[in-house]
Amino acid sequence: MKNLKLAGKKTENQKSIIEIGDLRIGEGLTVIAGPCSVESVSQTIETAHGVKKAGANMLRGGAFKPRTSTYDFQGLGLKGLKILEMAKKETGLPIVTEVVDTRDVSWICEYADVIQIGARNMQNFSLLKEVGRVRKPVLLKRGMYSTLSEWLNCAEYILAEGNPNVILCERGIRTFETYTRNTLDLSMIPAVKAETHLPIFIDPSHGTGKKHLIEPMIYAAIAAGADGLVVEVHNNPSEAKSDAQQQFTPDEFQAIMVKARKLYDSVREIL
Amino acid sequence: MNPEKIINQIEIIDSRIVELLNQRMEKIVIAKKFSEENGLAAGCGEVSDSVFHRAHSLLDDDFLKCIYEKIAGQSSAIGSRDLKIMAFQGEHGAYSEMASKTWNDKFVPIPCGEFSDVFSGVENGLYDYGIVPVENTLGGIVSEVNDLMIHTKLYVVGAVEIPISHCLLVYPGTDHREIREVYSHPQALAQCRRFIERNKLRPVNYFDTAGAAKMVAEKNKENVAAISSKLAAEIYNLEIIKESIEDYEVNRTRFLVLSRHENEGNGDKCSIVFSTAHKAGTLFNVLEKFASESINLTRIESIPSQMGNYAFFLDFMGASDDEKIKRVLEEVKRIVDDFRMIGCYEERKVK
Repeated sequence: MKNLKLAGKKTENQKSIIEIGDLRIGEGLTVIAGPCSVESVSQTIETAHGVKKAGANMLRGGAFKPRTSTYDFQGLGLKGLKILEMAKKETGLPIVTEVVDTRDVSWICEYADVIQIGARNMQNFSLLKEVGRVRKPVLLKRGMYSTLSEWLNCAEYILAEGNPNVILCERGIRTFETYTRNTLDLSMIPAVKAETHLPIFIDPSHGTGKKHLIEPMIYAAIAAGADGLVVEVHNNPSEAKSDAQQQFTPDEFQAIMVKARKLYDSVREIL
Repeated sequence: MNPEKIINQIEIIDSRIVELLNQRMEKIVIAKKFSEENGLAAGCGEVSDSVFHRAHSLLDDDFLKCIYEKIAGQSSAIGSRDLKIMAFQGEHGAYSEMASKTWNDKFVPIPCGEFSDVFSGVENGLYDYGIVPVENTLGGIVSEVNDLMIHTKLYVVGAVEIPISHCLLVYPGTDHREIREVYSHPQALAQCRRFIERNKLRPVNYFDTAGAAKMVAEKNKENVAAISSKLAAEIYNLEIIKESIEDYEVNRTRFLVLSRHENEGNGDKCSIVFSTAHKAGTLFNVLEKFASESINLTRIESIPSQMGNYAFFLDFMGASDDEKIKRVLEEVKRIVDDFRMIGCYEERKVK
């Protein structure tokens, strides 16, 4: 692929490891879990304890939400960041949260350990440049209409500004299939690994949008060699203000995690 | 103008009403001290009739009279209590006030404009105690306080060391994205330099951290924040954008509690001040006395008193009635000039 001066591999075995505290992303399986949106203190803290108990490594939660409709819940904003900070203090889990506005980048960095660029903003070049100027790791989701080449060029924008800490995340793309919310493109795992040295995560929650499809896709992603997973978990999914259809309860998530960790160990043994 | 803004303004007005009521009660306590000190008859807190004749169309006489009956009642109740005043420099919400509350939350913290006002007020008997910062782990010594310590006749009756954690405060409802300037004491701004840079804010010097918070609450200025304590956020009803914004975690300040009278309780720490003649080895000889008796020195500070002349502050562990310490101090007195025992006191450290 052309123009991937920094995102492309220089040697066959080149692999980036991104450090967040004691976590080493790119080594082992890193699991990010948490609610779609930060809705309240109790919802976030309860969910954080739940995902921590289940073995998640980081807590996700949206404070600034890019919603399809302007009339839908837009997130708690700064208040949401403060709640995430409380959850981090309680559980020790590093925080992953999305940025949608260039003016928020520095403020979100004060609270979060990883800043997420969502699918809808993948090609928002001003935003990419802005997150390239900080040193916080960036979770760059694949745009829903983007090719691999376009996606990696967006990673290049961040790297070229001086931030070497980019994590890629496949979260499903638009196809003619309507049964699923998006079509989860797991072939991107080996494709990304062939083209770049950056870690690749899979988000099966947005990738399928249906609870009964998420679990098998988690296992498939592990078998295909994903470095990490992003899974939506809510302490009370039926009451969730967004993505109610695709969030696990902490108990459901814990049962899946037990199998997922076992599967990861066997896959590593076999492959 | 929207309803949320008006609600925020009402909340700020309410916090100011409370602040002013507290100020009024403070004056009652000070007036009582003053009359006791000067042998005058106590008596204050009566409400002047002119209060009721001001033209405020929404406030009728009955309402005001009813409010002021309550205020006068509370004033005389407070005036009859035997309260101890602890003076501090700065506005309410200053870190010195936090130190005062840590030392003794029964004392009434009274704000003063300058450090010298704290010293002179305690010397004159207007205040029972004063509390002043002497040193900070990041900023070093507070030179003005140390200068005043050389010349004062006051005693140190206690010391308290507290962690300093700064908050970014704004007028309630302010959008964090709209903040452009941040006001605070130069030392607080310096301690948060990297935070200020990261968020592309313009630092503006202000005489005092809590004063900056008060200014933000009173002026309702847009695009402005203050760096101050969490206590200041509570007092002035400001919104905290971010807590713990200092660049380094180890940010602690040590305060001294001053009084006209020597500490009567127990102490495990002593402070002395002295100067030495311009003769080789004098300071060494002083330190040697402490070393030979294995007395642990906790602080030594030299402050220029005149050009070329220095006053030395020495803190050490031990009680002044300890025989070993009495012996060392007798020997030290013989070899130094201007020796003064500042106090033997208890020191408290807050984690």
